[in-house]
Amino acid sequence: MKFKNILLTILFLTIPYSLIPNPSFAQQVSLSLSPPLLELFIKPGKAIMVAYKLDNLGDPTFLNLKILPFEAKDNLGNIRIKPEFEGPVRFSLDNTDLTLDQPFFLKTNYSQQILLRIRIPENITDGDYYYSLLAETTPPTASEGIGSARAKATIGSNILVTISNSGNIDIKPKIALFSTRGGLTLGQNIKVFDSSDKIPVVLTVVNKGKNMMKPEGQISLKGNFGETIKYDIISKNILAESERLLEATPSATINCDQGREQKCLFSTTLILSGFFIGKYNLSTEIRFGENSPTIFASTIFYAFPFKIAGGILLATVIIIFIIKRKNE
Amino acid sequence: MKKKILILLFLAIPYSLIPNPSHAVPMDSSRFKIESANVEIAGGNKSSTSYKLADTVGQLAAGQYSSTGYVVKAGFQYLHSIIPFRFSISDINIAFGTLVPSTPSTATTNLTVYFGGAGQYQVTAIEEGPLKTQSLNVIPDTSCDGGANTCSESLAKVWSSSSAYGFGYGMSGNDIPTDFIDGTYFRPFPDRTAAESPATVMTSINVGKNRSSTVTFKTNISSIQPAGSYQTVINFVATPSY
Repeated sequence: MKFKNILLTILFLTIPYSLIPNPSFAQQVSLSLSPPLLELFIKPGKAIMVAYKLDNLGDPTFLNLKILPFEAKDNLGNIRIKPEFEGPVRFSLDNTDLTLDQPFFLKTNYSQQILLRIRIPENITDGDYYYSLLAETTPPTASEGIGSARAKATIGSNILVTISNSGNIDIKPKIALFSTRGGLTLGQNIKVFDSSDKIPVVLTVVNKGKNMMKPEGQISLKGNFGETIKYDIISKNILAESERLLEATPSATINCDQGREQKCLFSTTLILSGFFIGKYNLSTEIRFGENSPTIFASTIFYAFPFKIAGGILLATVIIIFIIKRKNE
Repeated sequence: MKKKILILLFLAIPYSLIPNPSHAVPMDSSRFKIESANVEIAGGNKSSTSYKLADTVGQLAAGQYSSTGYVVKAGFQYLHSIIPFRFSISDINIAFGTLVPSTPSTATTNLTVYFGGAGQYQVTAIEEGPLKTQSLNVIPDTSCDGGANTCSESLAKVWSSSSAYGFGYGMSGNDIPTDFIDGTYFRPFPDRTAAESPATVMTSINVGKNRSSTVTFKTNISSIQPAGSYQTVINFVATPSY
């Protein structure tokens, strides 16, 4: 009887705890991969090893490492990852406990060093090959009885491989477009802006060569009285047989998060801001490293204070109207 | 005198407004050729004997290259430091609960990209097949409200009708495609099993620091949709630029 009472008391005390539901937490993924970009210039028959660091800043997860080739998707620096491996470059891991395409477990706030070996077989034709090292999570198990979508997170780091036996590279730079955007276009080529307008500039360079290239140079803005402002071109890679919109700094910005300004609908190299009046000459000079040719382009635009003039005109009309009304 | 100045000005101003003519200037020598299109004026060193080979410019750190056979550069040269690239998904289990015919179910997750305020990036999305049960009953990908509001994998349109069935997503926040005008705009996910290409859901060529967006998943089923646990996997791929 006494034992029965004790048992009942224990049950009475423990059952409520078992009824308290476990709090549910959203399963979070947060990954970091470094370095984000690797550029390798290498001779056939050579191999190197590169150390990457993969951090898990989210919940514990299984991760899978793989290498896939990519190509330029557009002229904005976006990439299209191809679904299957291709190309002559050979990749493997030097880690004793890791293999490509084999899942491994990574705890929260733990890092995994990835020792990636890149090997170029002998007798490979000179050229560029582009790959992404991808670390992908394993999606959570499906919840039974409800509809659900499970997310898989993949983080990548790009590898640009230039194979050259001689050390020489083949690049064919060409300026595809150098122009201002927006404003009024008078006739065929006259661009006119309001003096207070932010003026977007677009500079696109195409590379018809077999190797990637890195532009260096400036965009110069010269005003009526010879005053000149120089903007440095940011040295971003232009892949072989592709085109890229370049960026220059310091550039003004347009806040595209709130409004949907017309200027937010296209990408720009540079946004000029200030008070412009008269004729302006915009020119660019781009180099591609030592012993390489320089390419040039220039364009002009005009700016007049239309808004201020309109405001003054409107104020004058209103004042005249008021004076006339008073006189009457 | 005043009249003469006015006449001179009247004659001179139109000339100053005539733009300089555009010239596409081929720059070539016996060893290289650069063609410049859409360039208004070209100048500078058009011929030189210093270029090494026809169509070949530059040499890769010649000394180091010939001795070691390779040159490696890590990170973005213009940043002068290696900044890690980080990608987060706030919830990877996106549950719709029990699906009720003609009553849309939605669920959200947040995507965050951190690039130390330094880099250009993209996030793409693709589904590993449509929402389906183990017995292969399928909730098709949405085409939104249909008619003028027919959406596609690359164009969001309004999906607000309770009689428009399917599965899709909408987006809000930083660096999202401009066709997601408001919370009523949706797209279907591209389908890997149909050999479709991933859709870019976040991208920026400008500096990005803690760029964040919200993905709203939505599904709506008809009364004849068979019962079952409908599941799919969405792959979000975040990559820095090159």
